[in-house]
Formats: sequence, C-alpha cells, structure tokens
Amino acid sequence: MSSRVCKTCGCTDIDIDQARGNAVCMGCGSVLEDNIIVSEVTFVENSGGGSSAVGQFVASDGTGKTPVLGSGFHTTLGKESRAQTLLNGKRQINHLGHQLQLNQHCLDTAFNFFKMAVCKHLTRGRKMAHVVAACLYLVCRTEGTPHMLLDLSDLLQVNVYILGRTFLLLARELCINAPAIDPCLYIPRFAHMLEFGEKNHEVSMTALRLLQRMKRDWMHTGRRPSGLCGAALLVAARMHEFRRTVKEVISVVKVCEATLRKRLTEFEDTPTSQLTIDEFMRVDLEQECDPPSFTAGQRKLRLQQLEHELAKKIDEVQGEICSYQDEIELELESSRPKLKGPYASYAREDSSDDSVSVASGLPGNEDDADEELKAAAQQLTKDFYSELMPGAGEASRAEEGSEAESEQVVLPRYPPLASLLGPLPTAASLGLSESIQKCITEKDVDGNSENGELDLKGIDDDEIERYILNEKEVKIKTELWMQQNADYLKEQKEKEERIAKEKELGIYKEQKPKRPPKKREPIRASTAGEAIEKMLEQKKISSKINYDVLRDLDKKGSSPGAQPEETPSSPGGRKLSGRRKRNMAALGLGNPISSVGKRLRPLISAHVGKKPASSQAAKASAAVVTAETSQPVVVESGPVVYEDAMEEEEEEEEEPCVSAMQLMGGNDYGCDVDDDDGL
Amino acid sequence: MEANNDVALDIIITNVVSVFRTRCHLNLRTIALEGSNVIYKPEVGKVLMKLRKPRITASIWSSGKIICTGATSEEEAKLGARRLARCLQKLGFKVKFTAFKVVNVLAVCTMPFHIHLIQFTKNNRPIASYEPELHPAASYRIKNLKATVQVFSTGSITVTGPNVRHVAMAVEQIYPLLFECKSTMR
Repeated sequence: MSSRVCKTCGCTDIDIDQARGNAVCMGCGSVLEDNIIVSEVTFVENSGGGSSAVGQFVASDGTGKTPVLGSGFHTTLGKESRAQTLLNGKRQINHLGHQLQLNQHCLDTAFNFFKMAVCKHLTRGRKMAHVVAACLYLVCRTEGTPHMLLDLSDLLQVNVYILGRTFLLLARELCINAPAIDPCLYIPRFAHMLEFGEKNHEVSMTALRLLQRMKRDWMHTGRRPSGLCGAALLVAARMHEFRRTVKEVISVVKVCEATLRKRLTEFEDTPTSQLTIDEFMRVDLEQECDPPSFTAGQRKLRLQQLEHELAKKIDEVQGEICSYQDEIELELESSRPKLKGPYASYAREDSSDDSVSVASGLPGNEDDADEELKAAAQQLTKDFYSELMPGAGEASRAEEGSEAESEQVVLPRYPPLASLLGPLPTAASLGLSESIQKCITEKDVDGNSENGELDLKGIDDDEIERYILNEKEVKIKTELWMQQNADYLKEQKEKEERIAKEKELGIYKEQKPKRPPKKREPIRASTAGEAIEKMLEQKKISSKINYDVLRDLDKKGSSPGAQPEETPSSPGGRKLSGRRKRNMAALGLGNPISSVGKRLRPLISAHVGKKPASSQAAKASAAVVTAETSQPVVVESGPVVYEDAMEEEEEEEEEPCVSAMQLMGGNDYGCDVDDDDGL
Repeated sequence: MEANNDVALDIIITNVVSVFRTRCHLNLRTIALEGSNVIYKPEVGKVLMKLRKPRITASIWSSGKIICTGATSEEEAKLGARRLARCLQKLGFKVKFTAFKVVNVLAVCTMPFHIHLIQFTKNNRPIASYEPELHPAASYRIKNLKATVQVFSTGSITVTGPNVRHVAMAVEQIYPLLFECKSTMR
C-alpha cells in the first residue's frame, strides 16, 4: 500500500493494522480507512463443528482460470478443471483397483503416476479409462503383482493392444522402466485358480522347475508368459496325478488351445521330456536346447537345399522326359474317349495334362521329407486324371511300371505347376516380359522435377497403353460398376437433391456429415414475457425455476442488470450480482464485503441515485432474497434463463450499460465468493 | 567389434513407400472406369491402382496426392511413380510430377546369432522396449535417425526408416548392441 497523506494534518505517518483493517494517521489519530480488504487466511465453521480455511486450491501449474462460483456450484464446488480431473481419476483408479484387489499402497502409487501423466498432458486426446488402466498396470509391473494386461482389458472391455499402446507411451514418457515379466510370477495365481487343494504348493514348485527348464531351453523369449505357465502347470498337474484338462487350463490362463498344444509339443522335443518324473525332480540336464524357432528355421533351410538339388536334377532329365511325353501322347490319343461339358476344355490341353501324369507317375528319388508330398501329388493328379479319362489312367500306370527301371528321375514339382498354368492367358505376361527387358537395359536418370514436368525416360508408353481399357471394355466396366455400386450412387443422388432443395429454400447450410442438423425456428412473441416462456419451453430448463419471480423481474420494465461484457460463465450470477454491484457502486466503491444480510440492508435503505435503479434495488433485493431462500436452485438455472431474456430485453433498456467491472474496479471475485458464503 | 559389419549381413529392402503430387484434380470415377487394374473405394474416396512391372500399389486421391507402396528400392519407387503419372496423363489428366518423396523404407536383416531379448532390453533401458504380452519382438527406436528396429529372438531384425541410408546406418548402429546380447546358439 502506498503511503498516503493524512487529510486533516498532512502527515505521512499512517499505521495500517491488518487485523482490524484500519488505516490510522499517527499524527492526528484520524481514521483514514475502515474495513480494508484483507488478504489473510480466514476460517469458517463447518457443519460438523470443525473449521476450514476459506479459499480455493489453485495448482501452481494450473491455468488459474476459475469458474465463478455462481454457476458451477453443484458438483465440484467451484474447483478448477485440473482438480476435477485428478479427483475423477482418483475415483476411477480406486474403482478399478478394488476390482483387481490391489492394496492401498499400489493405488496411491498409481494415483501418483496419474498425476504425473496429467502434468505432462498425456491425458489429452485419450480416454480417461485407458490412462487409468495404464497407470494401474504400470504399478502392477513395478510391484510385481501377478496381474496381466489381459485382466485389465477384460475389465474395461477394451482391446488389449490399445491398452498396451497407452501403457508403452506412459512408461516412455514417465521414464519408468518396468521390469520384464517373469512367467514365474503367474504360477501361484493360476495354481490357485486351478484348485489343487493341499498339494497346491508342490504342484507350484514343480511347475516352477518346469518353467525354469523351459527358460533354459529357450522357449520363453518372444512368447506370452501366460502360455508357458499354462503348459508348465498342465504338465505339473499330470505329474502329481491331477486330472486337469486342456480346456480347464486354457480358461484359467487365457490362451487358446493351439498355443498350449504347441508349447507342449515344443517341450516334448527337448531332451528333458524324456526324463521320468523322479529323474526330473532330481537331475537338471546340463545341455541347453535350441529354441524351437531355430529348429524350424533349420528345417526350412534343409527343404530349400533339397529343392535346389531337385531343380538341378530336373534340368538334367528334362530332355528325357520330353521324349517319353511324346510317346505317351500318341498312345493316349488313340485310347481317349470323347468328352463333353466343362471338361472338354481340359481335354484340349493334352500335352500339359500328359506331362502331369508322366511327371507324377515316374517314381522318383524317395526322399524322406518329400515322401508325403510326392504321394499327395500323385494321388491328386491321379484322381484328377482318372476323373477325366479313366482309360488313360490305366495307360499311365502301365507307363509307370515301364519307367521303373529307367534312371532315377526325381519328382519334378515345377513342371506340373508350369504346365497347369500354361493354358491361362499369357498374353499380358508375354508382352510384359518384352518390355521388362527393355526397361532393365535402360537407365533411370534422376530428372529434375522442379517444374513438375514428367520425365518420360524409362517409361514404356506401349505398356502403359495396355493399362488403359479401350472403349468397349470401358462400357462393360461402367455397367458392371454401376450395378455393383447402385446403392451408393442412389445415396449420392438423394443427397444432391436434398442439397438442391435446401438451396432453393435458402436454408442450405454447409453441413458437416457428422453433426445432425440442429435448426431452431426463431421465437416469435409479442411481449417479452411470452418470449421468455417460449424460450423456456424450447430449452427444456429445469422445472425448479421460480417463474413468478422471472415474470416479475421482467414486468417491472427494463433491467439495468444486463451486463453483457461479463464472463459468460455466470450470466445469472451476472445479472443478480450486476444489480447488486450497481447498487454497491452507487453506495460507494470499496464497501466492505460482509454477509449478504448486512449488505442487503444498506441496499434497501440506501437512496440510490436514479429512480428506476432504486425500484430495481428493491426488486433486486426481493429477488435476491427469494432466490437465496430457495437456495442454489434459482441461481444455477438462472444463467440459461437470463441470457436469452437479457438478449431480448436489451433494446428496452433505458440506462446505458456499464459493466460491473468498471464500476467495481475489477473486484468481482471477492464479491461473488462472499455472496454464497454469506448464505 | 568387427571391422566390416556389412560383409556378412544382408540387408534386404522389402518395402518402399513414397508420395507425390500431380498438382491437378483427378476424377476418380474416370480412372476407375478406364483403368484396367484399379479398385475404386468411394466410401474412403480413393482409387487403388496396381502396376505389375515395378510391383507397386498406388492410392490415388482426387486432390492429386498419390501414395505408392510395394517397391523394393528407391529407384524402383521413383520409376513406378513416374509410370503411374504417365498412365494418368494418358487418361487425359494434366498431371505434373512434383514433390516426389520417399517416406518410409522397410528392410529385414538376419543376424548370424540368436539374441537374448531380456538382456538386450535391460542394457538399453529407455530406448528399447519389450512387451512379450503384446508383441514377440523388442523395439528399439533411434531418435536421431528416426528409425525403428524390431529385434526378434531368432536374430532377424526389421528396420523401418525414412530412407535407405538411414536404414543402413541404423543396422550398423545396432549391430554391436545385438552382438553383446547374443546367445551361445548357432
């Protein structure tokens, strides 16, 4: 406070007592100020008898934007958005946490994570439920509780991968390193669910040993821990003579049957599976196993090598096969019956089919790996062939026998495919191959495309022409497309018609497809009262409004309470407080803020400058009294009502609008707070 | 550390995604009806056109933006894009070939050893993340290269990055880290 000069004696020595709120001149003793606005902590008595501090909690990182209490009264008691979010989050965390049976310490930690997430704005654009679940799962991981992400997704009915994405993001942003999941953590939980009774502990121990063995055998990297647990538990149960079916286990462990079986077979492949139960409990094999993917990879490699060799051999024997082909063809031509129907087309491709039979009929080098393949191929081709040409089938078998002594020809898998595909339209592929050759030889120079010109090097125009259909084809395609997409086209037409109609009517609005059109007819009413009523009907406002008061307010004429410049969040409070402020302004700036009762009296008794104002003061006070006697009801629904009413009544105002801010010198806040507290 | 890491490693590029603009409005219906290998998706508002020679698939929007996927090298991507633009030109649109950019390159590589994922994640804590419940691979993000490497326990890795050079650099960078955590197999 700047030191002022005393008016009576002119000395500058002024004593300001914060407690009493006085400013007294030390020279002459005259009181310069009374009821100074204090900014100390004041306490109010609660309903329970205790006392609580007056004021709002403002977070240091908050935006500081607090809704004025007049409107946001009901649920949140005027807390700012950040506090609301935190409260909401806490509630959800507790709710979910109790369902997961987490202890209070975990829930508190989760709430801390949540607070951090909110500070870093990670809740923006994400569902609160997802963030909450991610926080909880983070706690589960750091504490090592046996909760899976699947459990959380079950509770929330959300895709587990979506939750996983949120969780990963959270862990990354909060720089929290969640320790890796150990499948051993889940064993006690699943064992309990499988109900082993007294032997629970033993079975768990056995399962743990199995798991460790699996880990050593490289079965657990890259796999879901729950699958491994399931397999371990199943084997352990069987070892201890408990009958647990695969179905029971998978319902507990939440993997599918195929996964479980796969794990079991993988385990079967390890040397450990060969031990007896006793041996397993006592001995731990030193040798480590290759991971199952590795063995699968090896097998693939082997197969590939085999194929290579076979391909090579095929080339060698190709010539011989051709000669045999010709011979067989001749024979078959003579013995073939005539065919009709769909198979007639197949009959035309003599050479191809014959080569099939020849190829498959020749006994090949019976490789272990290829045996089944060969047998299957043989069977298939034989069936196919025998369907079409029963006579020829016998002939081919006869050929088979004769070929038996001939050199070893390996099962050529490639020719059959090629020949079967032969009859398919090859025009395009042939044409393409030519242009492919062309293009490979040409070099692709990197042209400057700054001016947007298309560098035609390396582009074969002819081939591109082929991509474009000629007119006939276009017609056909157009027809087909129209037929296929008839529904969509209909919709589009209707939409266009609708838009055209609306354009004519002049109501056409550029509408976004998502929002359903919300058109309201403008209210046509003769008097303001009617207008208010109609508007109320439209806006479906609560039935708790005291309409009499509203009408009275309106009927008394213009209302100076229209303070449109005030914050829109509290127009009701605006109107009432506007009136109050006006009157207070009339009384004098810086009046002490005390209880409403106290203030009302001066309002009512004081002689306000302008007559309408005074009548309104009385009205205001009456309104205020009624409003406040009926507690927050009127006040809270006030805003909606008054807003429109004010808009419509603005023209009727006599007095010029001066914002309360200007009148009060910008001290709204204190005013409003006190109003409600005074109640 | 081995002197020449790339000698034994075969980096195979499997997919190159690129975008370019034709700077002119395209009528999707015309393209759909007159092209011989197109799929029109009116609900989404795009046309898929597949080229055979550089085997690529292009998504064409009516604004003139085109995304090409499926090429196996950067040059091929550019060739395919130009081919496509030529095709559209022939259909009658005044296309220009502007703003061609390779956006994403996907490559695979196989290490001659298996990798212990849990140890790998532990060594590279914040950068690498491994979530066996969600995905069998550990993902390692290299910020300065803007590349992501997915490491599988079998030793094969997939690298995605903005261009081929970055991808190669990412492989070089990650090789020593993987070598540390190799398992005694193979």
